[in-house]
This record gives sequence, C-alpha cells and structure tokens, in this order.
Amino acid sequence: MPRFRTTLRARLTLLYILLVSIVLVLYAGGASVFFWQKLIGEMDLSLDRDLETIENLITSGTDGKIRVDTGDQSENLLLEIWSESGDLLYRSSELGGQVLGPPIVHGSPRHPPKRSVRLAENETVRVITRSHKFEGHIVMVRLGVSENVLREQFGEMISTLVLGLPVALVIVGLTGYFVAGRALQPLDAMARHAKQINAEHLNERLAIENPDDELGHLGGAFNETLSKLENSFGQLKRFTADASHELRTPLTAIRSVGEVALQNAVEDQGHRDAIGSMLEEVYHLTHLVDSLLILSRAESEYLALQRREVSLRDLATESVTLLEVLAEEKHQSLKVQGDESIVSGDPLILRQALVALIHNAIKYSPAHGSIRVQTGATNENAFVEVHDTGPGIPTEHRTKIFERFYRVDKARNRDVGGAGLGLSIADWAVRAHGGQIELDCDSEPGCTFRIKLPIKSK
Amino acid sequence: MKILAIEDEPKVGKALLQGLRAEGYEVTLAQSGEDGFFLLNSNPFDLVVLDVMLPGRNGIEILKALRRQELKVPVLLLTAKDSVEDRVVGLDAGADDYLVKPFAFPELCARIRALLRRGKPEAVLTLKIDALDMDLITRSVTRDNTPIELTVREFELLEFLLRNKGKVVSREMLARDVWKETSRATPLDNVIDVHIARLRRKIDDDFQPKLVRTVRGVGFMLSEDGR
Repeated sequence: MPRFRTTLRARLTLLYILLVSIVLVLYAGGASVFFWQKLIGEMDLSLDRDLETIENLITSGTDGKIRVDTGDQSENLLLEIWSESGDLLYRSSELGGQVLGPPIVHGSPRHPPKRSVRLAENETVRVITRSHKFEGHIVMVRLGVSENVLREQFGEMISTLVLGLPVALVIVGLTGYFVAGRALQPLDAMARHAKQINAEHLNERLAIENPDDELGHLGGAFNETLSKLENSFGQLKRFTADASHELRTPLTAIRSVGEVALQNAVEDQGHRDAIGSMLEEVYHLTHLVDSLLILSRAESEYLALQRREVSLRDLATESVTLLEVLAEEKHQSLKVQGDESIVSGDPLILRQALVALIHNAIKYSPAHGSIRVQTGATNENAFVEVHDTGPGIPTEHRTKIFERFYRVDKARNRDVGGAGLGLSIADWAVRAHGGQIELDCDSEPGCTFRIKLPIKSK
Repeated sequence: MKILAIEDEPKVGKALLQGLRAEGYEVTLAQSGEDGFFLLNSNPFDLVVLDVMLPGRNGIEILKALRRQELKVPVLLLTAKDSVEDRVVGLDAGADDYLVKPFAFPELCARIRALLRRGKPEAVLTLKIDALDMDLITRSVTRDNTPIELTVREFELLEFLLRNKGKVVSREMLARDVWKETSRATPLDNVIDVHIARLRRKIDDDFQPKLVRTVRGVGFMLSEDGR
C-alpha cells in the first residue's frame, strides 16, 4: 500500500471529513444559539407572569414601608422595589444583601428591562424590571430568577453534541474512505495495468469501460500516448536496422577502393599511411555497424536462439582460452574455478556475453592484477561470475553501463573503450535466455559481473 | 582465369575490376543481373562474383536460373546480410561460398583462389618462405635450421600466413579461418595482434630479413622482400 497521506483516496477522505466537521460545527453552533434564545425567551415570559402576580401582592405596611406578602411561595423570591428617584424600597430576604444591579431611575436607558446579572461565582440570575403604579407613585419592581437549572440543561445539550461529533466524524471518515476507494478503484486498476506495459509490450492498451466518463478520457489519452510511443519505438528500431544496412554499401566501396589501391598502385609511403589510416576507421565503423545490427535484430526478436544443452564451465574455459593471451601480456592471472552447471541456451550467443565480460575485466584490471571466472549453481539459477581487480564502477554509473555507447570515463579513447556496445550486447544475450547480469562492486575490491541463468539441471 | 563480377554499385565494381586484374585475373564487370546473365550464357567463365542486392532480378534469382541451366561455374555471393537465414538461402540456391559486405579485399582474393583450386587437391607436406621451413607432418618449424618452438595457435597462424604468402590476410580472415570465429562481433582484434607480435618475436627477432609485415589498415602478410 502506498504511503497513506500521498494517496488521492486519503486526501479525498481527509477533505471530506474537514468539510463535514465545518458544517457540523456551524450547525451545532447555530442550533445552540437558537435554542438558548428560546429558553431565555420562555424564562422571560414566566418571569413576566410572576411579576404580575407579585405586583398584586405589594402592600403598604403600618410603618409606611412596603411589604410583599407572598405567603407560602416566599422561597427563592429575588425581589427589589425601587422608588422613582432611585431609593431602595424593598429587598427580599432571600437576596441576603446581594444586589440585583445598581439603583435604577425610571426611564433610564442604562437599565434594560431584561438582562442577566451575575450574583456570585456560580450564580447567574435573569432579572426583569418593570415600572408599577402603587398608591399613586411609580415604583420600579425588579424580579430575578436563577438561571442555573437552565444553564445546566443547556450544558448537557452542548456536551451531548460535542461528544457525538467525533463519533459522527469517524462514521463520515469511514464512509468517505470507502466511497472514495470505490470511485478510484478503476483508476487503480488502470495504473496497475499501465505499469505492466513496458518497451517490450508497447502494443498493449488499457481496457476502457466507458469512454465518456472521466476515467475513460484518461484511459483514452494514455492509449493515444502509447500508440505514439509504439510508433516512435518502431521507427527507432527500423532506423537502426535501415541505417546499418545503408551504411554497408558505402563502407564496402571505401574499403574495396582503399585496399585495392594499397595492393600495388600506391608507392609513396605517406599516401599508403593515409589510406591505411582511413581503412582502420572503416574497420572500426564496420564493427560498429555489425554490433548495431545484432542489437536491432535482437530487439525485433528476429534472431532465433539455437538452443541446446550448454555447460557454463566449458563455455568459461573456452572464453578464457581465447582471451588469456591478453591477460598474459598484462601479467594478470586469469583463472576459471567452480562447479559444473548446465543451462539450455545458444552457446554462440552466451559465449559472446561471457567473452565481452572477460574482455572488459582484462581491460580494466591493472597490470599484475587477477581475474577470476567462477561458475556454479544455486537451487534456482546457474551462474558465471567474472571478478576483476579494476578500480570499480562509481555508483552513479552502475545502472547505466549496459546502455548503448555509455562510457564511465567520457574521455576514454576508443582503443581502450571499444565501441561501447559490448556490455549492451552481453546484456541482451543474457536477457534473451531469460537471465540477467548483476553487478556487485561492494563486497570486495574490484567488480563482479554475475550472469544468472535459469537452471537446466544440477 | 576469367572472372565475371556482377555488382551494381559503380565504385565497388570498379575496385573489383582493378583489384582482381592486379591479381592477374581476366575480369568482366556486369552492372545488372540481366547483363550478367546474358554474359554468362554467351561466354565461358571460371568464376562468378555475384552481389545479392541487385536492381531488377536480385542475385539469388540469377543464381537459381543459372543452376536450372546446369551451369556449374563456381559462384561467390556478396551479401549485406549476415544472419544465418540469409546464408542458408544463398547456399541453398547453389552458391559455393559467400562474403558479407563490407568484405576485406584480401579475403575476397583468398576465397577466389580457394574456389578456383577446388577439385585439384594439393598434397602439401611442407611450407617454406626464405629460410623458414614448416613441416606439416611433424608440426615443426625451423629458420636457418634453428628449431623454433610454437604453441598450437601460433603454428596454425603461421601455417595460414605461409599458405597465403605474398598476400595480405585481414584480421577477419584470421578470426574466421584460424580462430574459427563465426561472429564478427567477438572482440578478437587485440588477441590477433598479440599473437602476431609473439610470432614475430619468435621467427623474426633473431633473423634477417624480417618476414612478418603489417599492412596498415588491411592486415598482415609474410613476404621475403621486406618491403
């Protein structure tokens, strides 16, 4: 599974969760405000009614003081009566000396008729103030009731909402992830299929279920690109083959004319050298054209392998015998070791690969170095290793050395470097047999090229 | 000896004409298959050098028509294609030998000599140049009566050079006839150069005149005049 955060599916899900939580929070907030307003409104209504009742209970005592005779309903009665000029006329005992607000003057805009007043730490009181005509005077009657019960209820409602939110979001997230997965599943299938299409199978196309939907458009565009690619690849292959063929005719002419001239006609040594030098280049070019033709033919799968049982050990011995004079000239030791291992393959083509690798090893190992050719087999593979004591290959070049004309040292001249196609041909030869060439430059000094081939028998 | 060369590429044709004449053959050049076929039916030739890629009727068709008329003249095919299938097609059509373009001229000469010699077995037991003697029975080599020790490969190399003495042999000829290497892509040039150098050390270093010559850009040859 790809990294979670980077998948489109995960990002869609996260976006979905984010949107739903914003909507939920806005909705819950709005609902709470609305609900609170409604609760307060109802409380005010009931306060109004209570105040009306109380107004009828206001009497004047014998001492001239105002009394409120509430009878049995006296508990929790928070009541103040103020004169028009702002003197306190009455304050219920339940208030215990606490004030329901500053003194009020009739008509003062600073004293709204309805408001919440904080009495103590945990006590908020809803207060309603009204003027009342009593015995010819206007008095201000102010009645309060505790909001605590209301606030508790409201708090419970909020916590229910807040507790429910994560649960809702989890459900939303899971649903979103599932839905996104379902929607993206064809895309995933397309990606997997597309990955399997490589240079060797460019003729394949993606299956498109519905060409009119977005996925269909994408698949169509991809298939179109594949067609273009296939075309270009075909052109490139044909170009290599055609160019190689076309080059042969002029090369033949140059070579024949030059060689016939050297045969007898030219006596002057300077001219002979000039013609000889041109012929040397023609010779290199001929080899280059030959190698390119081998590769282009290999790519068009035109070259059929002549398979038979091949002993890798015999092949190694044969290749070493062919090249050992080169090692001798550099005073290098060149040895074949290891066990017998048999594969099914084309001996000529396999030998070409092995000769190229050993040739390389001799070329890049220093004088008095050593080259070891080791054969053997594991349970799955037969292998030949060519180990050299050269300077090794820098990491950044290792994946590229099998590419055509690739050189680790760009300045290397052709006498040492060859045409730059040897490893490409070796790589093709081994892959044509269902094997691969591995490169190991780390486990010991120098480099080891390992040809791995499917095993025939032990 | 009369040779008919059928080759449409003018420069290659001219080179064939000049080069083979210099070798002492009587050469006629035909620039198309039809011309060549007409010439073959009207004149006797000892050998035909036939290019496969010809305008009009190609070399293979000419060759088949030739063999249908029971003309037994040896045919050397020049082909630009060197895949196994192409060789088989050529040989099945009745070619006696083939050369892949671009060929080395000395190799063409060597093959022509071999084809003309065919049917006349030469029982050679000893080969000789200057005071260098090779005995093919005892596989020994002496120069000025001094025995020279050669490895198997060096012996075969010297034998091939001796059989073509006075003629240049190309690296391709050595790879094909001494090393029996069929693919031109095998990197044998360095190997051949090292063997030539060793052979030179053994047969030339302590003697006069020098016999092994390098012809730059073409190949090697054994010659007495040391030119």
